[in-house]
Amino acid sequence: MEETKVVTGAWELSTFKFRVEGEGLRLMLENMKDKKLVGTKCSKCGTVYIPGNFYCRKCHVKIDEQAEVSDHGTVMSYTVGYSDVRGNPLEEPRIAVEVKLDGGDTWIMGVMQECKPEDMEIGKRVKVKWNEVRSGSLQDMKAFIPE
Amino acid sequence: MDGKVAIAGYNISPCSSNMVTSRERLLFDLTTGLFEELGIDRDAVDTFIIATNDFLDGRTISNVFLDPPIGAYMKDETKVEMDAVNAIAYGWMRILTGQYDTALIVSLGLCGHQISPYLHIDYTLDATYDRQLKLLNELSAAALQAGSYLGKYGYPAELLDEIAAKDLGNAALDPYQARRLDGISAEEVGKSRYLYEPLRELHCYPPTDGGCVMLLASEDRAGELTDKPVWILGMGRSIDKYYIGDRDLAVSPSTTQAAKVAYDMAGIKDPAGEVDLAEISSIFAHQEPLLAEALGLFEEGKAVDIYSSGDSAIDGRLPVNPSGGALGAHPICSTGLIRMAEAARQLRGEAEGNQVKKAGVAVAHGQDGMCAQQNAVVVLGI
Amino acid sequence: MMRNVGIIGVGYTPIFVSKRKDVSIPEMISEAVDAGFRNTGLTPEDIDAVIFGNMQTFEGVNLPHLWAVEHIRALGKPVMRIATGGTTGMSAFHAGYYHVASGMADVVMVVTYEKHSEGDAQVGLMGIITPEVMTMLQAGIDVTGGSGMGAIGGGSAGGISFQAMSYLNHSGASIEHIDAMAAMERRNAAKNPYAHLKDPECTAEKIAETAMVSYPIRFGHICPTTDGSTVCILASEEKAAELADKVAWVWSVANCCSDATTGNLVDGMITDPAEQRPCMIAARQAYERAGIEDPKTEFDVIEIYNGFAHQTLMFLEKLGVCEVGEAHKLLEAGELEIEGRLPTNASGGVVSTNSIGTSALNRVTEAALQIMGKAEGGHQVPKDVHKALAHSWGGLMQYVAVTVLGDTPPRK
Repeated sequence: MEETKVVTGAWELSTFKFRVEGEGLRLMLENMKDKKLVGTKCSKCGTVYIPGNFYCRKCHVKIDEQAEVSDHGTVMSYTVGYSDVRGNPLEEPRIAVEVKLDGGDTWIMGVMQECKPEDMEIGKRVKVKWNEVRSGSLQDMKAFIPE
Repeated sequence: MDGKVAIAGYNISPCSSNMVTSRERLLFDLTTGLFEELGIDRDAVDTFIIATNDFLDGRTISNVFLDPPIGAYMKDETKVEMDAVNAIAYGWMRILTGQYDTALIVSLGLCGHQISPYLHIDYTLDATYDRQLKLLNELSAAALQAGSYLGKYGYPAELLDEIAAKDLGNAALDPYQARRLDGISAEEVGKSRYLYEPLRELHCYPPTDGGCVMLLASEDRAGELTDKPVWILGMGRSIDKYYIGDRDLAVSPSTTQAAKVAYDMAGIKDPAGEVDLAEISSIFAHQEPLLAEALGLFEEGKAVDIYSSGDSAIDGRLPVNPSGGALGAHPICSTGLIRMAEAARQLRGEAEGNQVKKAGVAVAHGQDGMCAQQNAVVVLGI
Repeated sequence: MMRNVGIIGVGYTPIFVSKRKDVSIPEMISEAVDAGFRNTGLTPEDIDAVIFGNMQTFEGVNLPHLWAVEHIRALGKPVMRIATGGTTGMSAFHAGYYHVASGMADVVMVVTYEKHSEGDAQVGLMGIITPEVMTMLQAGIDVTGGSGMGAIGGGSAGGISFQAMSYLNHSGASIEHIDAMAAMERRNAAKNPYAHLKDPECTAEKIAETAMVSYPIRFGHICPTTDGSTVCILASEEKAAELADKVAWVWSVANCCSDATTGNLVDGMITDPAEQRPCMIAARQAYERAGIEDPKTEFDVIEIYNGFAHQTLMFLEKLGVCEVGEAHKLLEAGELEIEGRLPTNASGGVVSTNSIGTSALNRVTEAALQIMGKAEGGHQVPKDVHKALAHSWGGLMQYVAVTVLGDTPPRK
C-alpha cells in the first residue's frame, strides 16, 4: 500500500461558548453544604430527578416541586477499574458505583471506598461519606461507603 | 402522488443574536407551545425528526440530549443532519407510507452566542486541499459568487443594497426576526462595512440563535388538528458539485432541478404565473435574485428592474421573502423550516404586518453547503 | 401507500483495517460505491436518491457528502444525510427504506463510512458531553474518577462496564461467557474477508489473558476502530424484479430512544442502561409490523450491534430471541455458531469490525448477504435463510434501531 501525504486539521472546541442547564445542579450543590440531597419531583407521575430537572421526561411538563432524597441508597451496578479514563494503569483497583438513593429515581455515579472488590454486589446498601468541610461542590460528597 | 400530507401547526422562536437559554429549554418551550396550541401532547406524535448540526452544536451526536425535551422519550426518533426542509421531506415520506399519521420536525441553531459565525462551512471544506489553503471560507466563497452573479448581467454593486434594504425592511415587521432595522434605506445599507468585497455586513446573514418546530400530519389527522391545514403539494431536492472552480456560481442548477421536481409534483407549469409568494433561504443578498431565477420566478437578467419596481415587495406582483428572509435571522438548520413556517403563515392569512394580498400557493426553499451547493424546494398550498 | 422494498446489492471497501493510508476519505468511499455497482451491474443513472451517514466529528469533516458528492455519484440527486450516533448506518438504511416504501424513489443507494485513522476517536467520543463535562468541572467533578460525586468511573470503558456488570448479575452469566463470546466472534471474523480483527484460533482463554480494563470488561471484549465504507442498494419490488437475481426483502424497520446515560452529568438518567427498554420497544414494534409472532424460533440468522462482547448475549435477551439468562446457555451449547441453530454475528460483529458509520449498516448487509447466499470467505451459514434480524445500538447508550429481513416479499 502506498502511503499518502498527511495534512492536519483541528476542531476548535475552544471557540464555543456553551449554555448548559444548570438550575438542578445548583439546587443540589447548594444543599450539599448542609449534607442534604435535593432534586425536583414531577407532581404528575412522582418521578424524582436528582440532579433536578426543570421538566419531567415521562410527562413532558414543567416541574418545580423540590424533593429531598436520602443519602442512603442501593448499588444498581458497579465496576472495578484497573485503568483510568485514558487507559493508564491505576496503582490500586478502584470501585465505581451507580447508586439509586432512597427516594430518588436517578442513578448517581460515584466512587466506592472502605470496601473490597470481593465484597461488592449489586443490591448492596451504601451511604454517602460526607466531607468534613463542604463548599457546594461535587467533592462535598467524598464517596459511597457501606451502610 | 398517493395521499396528502399537511402542515398542521408550527412554532417559530423569536430569534436573536444572544438567546439566554439552553438548547433543551428552547426546544421544550417550542414543542410544548405547539402542543398546547393544537390541544395535544407527546402521545399524539408518531415520530420525531431532529435537524441540528454537530459542528454548530460543538458536540458529537448533537441530538443525544434533545430527545426528552421534545417529548421523544421512549419513542421513535431520528436525525437528519441538514437544513430542516430535508427533515420535512423525510417526515413527509414516512407519513406517505401510511405507517405514521404525524411527524414532528424539530430544529435549532445557536449560531449567535455559541459559536463564531461562518465557521461551520470551514469544516465542510475539502480537508486535504481547500482547508489547507485557508483562502476559502463561507464569506469569501459567497463574495466570489456575488461577483460572479453581478458580473454576469453587469449589475451594479448597489443592487445588493436594494435587495438587503427590502429584506431588512420586511424583517422589521416580522416578530420572529433577529435583525430588525426599521426604515433602513439602501444608502444606509451601502455604508455598512465590507466583510468580503462586494459583500457588506448588511448584505450577509446575522449570526443568530433560534429554532423552529413543525407538525406534519396525514390528511385525516390534519383535519382533526387544524381547520387551516397547509398542504405539501410538491417536494424536490438536488445537489451541485463541490469544487467552486467547477461551478458557474451565477446559477444554481440544483435549485432549478429541485424546483422542477417540486413543480411537476404540484402540477405547476408556469411558476412565475402560478406561485403567489416565495420564502427563499438566501443567506447573502445576491442569493435572493440568483435563487429566484433558478426557481423560475424571476426572469434572468431583470433583477435591477424587479427590485426598483417593487415587483418582489410585500405588495408587489410576486412577493419574495415577505418575512425578510435569512438576512433577518439564520439559525443554521432551522432557516429553511422557518421559511416554510413563514410561508404557511402567509397561506393561512396570519402574517399580520407582513401579509401579502394573494396567498394561495407558496414556494419555500432551504440550502446547505458553500454557495448553496445543496438545495431543497417545497411547494405549499391552502 | 406502503410498497415492498428489497435489498438488491451490497458494496464494501476491499478491506476493513486500522489505517487506510493509501486513500483519502472520498476515495475510500468510492471504493465501496464502485463495489456496489459492480456487484449489482447497476450504473449511477439507475440510482434515484442517495442516503449518506457517518459520525463526522470523528474525522473533523462537516457534512462530508458535500465534498464527496461526485465520489458517491450523487450529482443532481436528492441526497439525505443521517447522523444518529452508533445507529447511524441503520438509521440511514431506514431513511432509504422510506424513500422507496413511500413511492418517492425506486432505487436508492445508502452510503456509510468512517475513517477513524484520520481523526481522534477520544475527541469524537468525549465530544458528546464536552459542555456537560465542562459544567461538572466547574462544579468540582474529578474526571480521573478518584473521588466525589459523579466521579467518572469505568476507566476507558466508561459507562459500559456498569451495563456489563448488570448484565452478568441478572442473567447468571459469568465473565468467562463474555470471553467465549468474544472468541467466537473473532473466529467468525476470520471467515469474513471484510472483517478487521480476525483470529481463527481464538479461544476464551486467549481473551481472558488480555488486560482487565474495568471489571468485567477486558481489552479483548472491546471493538477496534476501523477504516471502511459500506454501501447498500435498495429497490422497489418492480425494480428488484428487473434488476436483481437475489433479493433480501425488508419486512419491517423500527427504532426507539430513551434518555442519555450520563451517570448524572448535569442531568440524571432515570432509565436503567442495562435494561435496554428502547430495545424491547423497538423490537416489539418491528415484530408487529413484520408479522413475527415468535422471535425465539422464527429467525435463521441474527446480527447484533456489539461494541462490547457482552452485548451480543445481552441483546439476544432484550430482543426476545431468548429468555433472560438463556443467552449464555445457547452459547455453551454451540447454538450461536455459524453451523448452529441460531447463528449470531457470523460476520464477527462490531467487536471485530468497527468503522462506526458503517457498523449499524453492516448488521443489515450481513443479514441480507446471508439471505441471498452471498456471504464470502466461509461465514455463509450452511442452511436456507428465510428470516433474519438485524439490530443496532448507539448514542449515549439509548438509541436502538431494528430491521427484520426475509427471503420473500412481505406483502401480497
